[in-house]
Amino acid sequence: MSLLEVENVTKTFVENTSKIFVLNNVSFSVGNDEFDCLVGPSGCGKSTLLRIVAGLEKADSGKILFHEQPIIQPTPKISMVFQLFGLLPWKTALENVDLPLEVLGVKKEDRIQIAKEYLKMVELEDFENTYPHDLSGGMKQRVGIARALAVQPELLLMDEPFSSLDELTAKTLRELVLGIWRDRSTPPNSILMVSHNVEEAVYMADRVIVISPRPGKIIGEVKINIPRPRYQQLREPVFFKLVDEVVEILEKGKTMTHDKSLHR
Amino acid sequence: MAWLIVTFVGYREVKYLPFYTFSTVFRITVTLLISIIWGVSFGILAATNRLASLILTPFIDLLQSIPILGYFPMVIGFLFALGPLGVELSVIALLFTSMAWAIFFGVLGAIRGIPANVVESARSFGLKGWRYTRHVVLPAITPAVVSGANLAWCDGWFFMIAAEYIQYQGRIVTPPSGGLGYLLATAAYYYKDMNLAIILLIFITFIVVYFNILAWHRLMERASTGTFKPVFRMDLSGVGKLGVAKATRWLHFGRLHWPRAFSIVHQRLRKYTRIEKIVAAVLAFSVVFFILYLESEHFPNLATILEGFNEPPGEELVSLPMLIALTMGRLTIAYVISLAVAIGLGVLAAEHKKLASVIYPLYDIGQGVPILALFPVLFLGLNQLIGTPRIALELTCIIMLVLDMIWYMFLNIASAAKNIPTEINEVGKLFGFKGLKRVTHLVVPSILPSIVTGSILSWGTGWNTIIFAEYMPSTEPTVPPLSVPGIGSLLDKAGYQYGNTVLLIFILGIIASIVLSMEGFLWRRLFRKFEKYHIEV
Repeated sequence: MSLLEVENVTKTFVENTSKIFVLNNVSFSVGNDEFDCLVGPSGCGKSTLLRIVAGLEKADSGKILFHEQPIIQPTPKISMVFQLFGLLPWKTALENVDLPLEVLGVKKEDRIQIAKEYLKMVELEDFENTYPHDLSGGMKQRVGIARALAVQPELLLMDEPFSSLDELTAKTLRELVLGIWRDRSTPPNSILMVSHNVEEAVYMADRVIVISPRPGKIIGEVKINIPRPRYQQLREPVFFKLVDEVVEILEKGKTMTHDKSLHR
Repeated sequence: MAWLIVTFVGYREVKYLPFYTFSTVFRITVTLLISIIWGVSFGILAATNRLASLILTPFIDLLQSIPILGYFPMVIGFLFALGPLGVELSVIALLFTSMAWAIFFGVLGAIRGIPANVVESARSFGLKGWRYTRHVVLPAITPAVVSGANLAWCDGWFFMIAAEYIQYQGRIVTPPSGGLGYLLATAAYYYKDMNLAIILLIFITFIVVYFNILAWHRLMERASTGTFKPVFRMDLSGVGKLGVAKATRWLHFGRLHWPRAFSIVHQRLRKYTRIEKIVAAVLAFSVVFFILYLESEHFPNLATILEGFNEPPGEELVSLPMLIALTMGRLTIAYVISLAVAIGLGVLAAEHKKLASVIYPLYDIGQGVPILALFPVLFLGLNQLIGTPRIALELTCIIMLVLDMIWYMFLNIASAAKNIPTEINEVGKLFGFKGLKRVTHLVVPSILPSIVTGSILSWGTGWNTIIFAEYMPSTEPTVPPLSVPGIGSLLDKAGYQYGNTVLLIFILGIIASIVLSMEGFLWRRLFRKFEKYHIEV
């Protein structure tokens, strides 16, 4: 049985009295120990989809099942890493990681212990008492990752986590995330990531799910069966073949909506 | 209805109501135009010319820091000699000193805030001189000018009652063409008629709110859809639908929220180079010396200056520390009340949509009431209720301060609470912050910078108001004016009652130094501390 099941999710936003059709009948699932990636053009609703899974937004119709239970509000079993980090500027790195644990009711000494442990995992042990203002973008996202992991989630959601970082930093953090995911002794079991960088998706994920331009719906999926670690495979034809496959589906998605608009 | 007619009949001044309305609106409009011309030209000059900036900015900042009502008598005394026209001119001069600054600093901030890439691309295409001004500078400052002009307009109405009913050396000077402020002051001070005063007050509030909603709303909407939209955008949604007047103090630079007031304060505290600070200090001293020098024509030697300290109300100087403490005490009480209420209401309004639909309209009307005009009405009412004029005045003073200070606090806090970035809110939701935890860990820290900004503004306006509110002028020569002890009333006595210029300048200097040292030692530090809390989006 899958860890997460998304069934026929539809979502519209109302803005200034005009309706915006964001997600159209989206269904997919994420299995245990799986790393899945949602790819699509900007504005296709993939971030909204992730927020619905997190319990931050409500779908108009359809179901989100986690361990076969519907998700109606955020749960510590599903955690999230944000595009712009979402750190509280008035709290140090340690306090930022500590706060969700406090909400969960963990004892103070244990909390500090756990927070330190996770900061160490993201190689920030020397910056525990630094405020976000004084951290670089990459370091901020490391704090964001530590905070998301500290609550021991089964499923980690990542909303374009590397897109506001420079390429070198992004590369390092991708390895960090992959390392943590592949270490079965630590959470999370599964990762669902949103990206608009096809190479990144193919490099990291087991499966790339392609979403069409708005209203977003799933127009294809590509299984990535390159053995891990993939660091050596980056220049292999098999990698480029899979990237091309995803790009092709994306291009097809573009013309599909184009045709539709012509028909109107 | 009958009550209305009974109230209105019998006062000959009331017949002139339409004319007085026109006269006040006309006067404020003329002053506004002068302020815009002055503010835009000097603002552009100060922003584009380094030398001009070195001299102008600190000087204008200094003028702005001194409570405006404080230098009323000084600015205008000589104009009275010119007859009726001189009086009209002096009223305009007074209004100008309360209206011009917002536009100047808005323009300065807007030009300095033009993103480097826009400046560079303009330069690379060879835009220079007038073309540069026309295509880059003017579009960039338009929103600032419009919102600054709106602020100035509101300030004009705020000071109108003081400007049209000038107390000068124990007598009352009013403009020959009258005005709503004059009418209200006459009703309250001279006829002591509560009903008439309240009706006039409602009428004035109505006019202010009317203009804000009708004229300014549209103007600001148009300004915000200017050519510079992608770079400079004004936040029209602001607080509530009608909170246009003050909500538009929030300028957007790109996706960053920069409250207009914040940018002024920010620029005031941060953008000064060391040279500018030195120039400011030198200027401050030279202004004081220059004024003293001018006055020394009237008081040719040191002995007469010293004599000034001995003339009434010089004898009260002995208890100066006490008077300062009393005034500061009133300001602090009012500040704490405003702070508490504003945080409560601001956070509630941001968190609960239904409450917001009640609070924002209240805010719209509340900030439309010209507070200084409320003074006589409030005093008359409380005096009838309590019977002891002293206590009534003390209470009036604090209530006025609260009513004056609270809007700045509320506006800043409500906007900040409303503008907490979505990601921060999502983090809160995701990790399950609720109720009190949410308020203490998320809401309060994120509004702290705005609380500092609001505090700076509300103390500034508070000083102005307290100078007015500690002192109740008398209309009959035999009855001494009523006052509560404080440095504000001492200033009024020196200026209005005795015309003691030496003492007036001395007290003004003291007030200015209190204001400036509070800014330096308290606000600047808090500001620096909380600056890091601004969330980069």
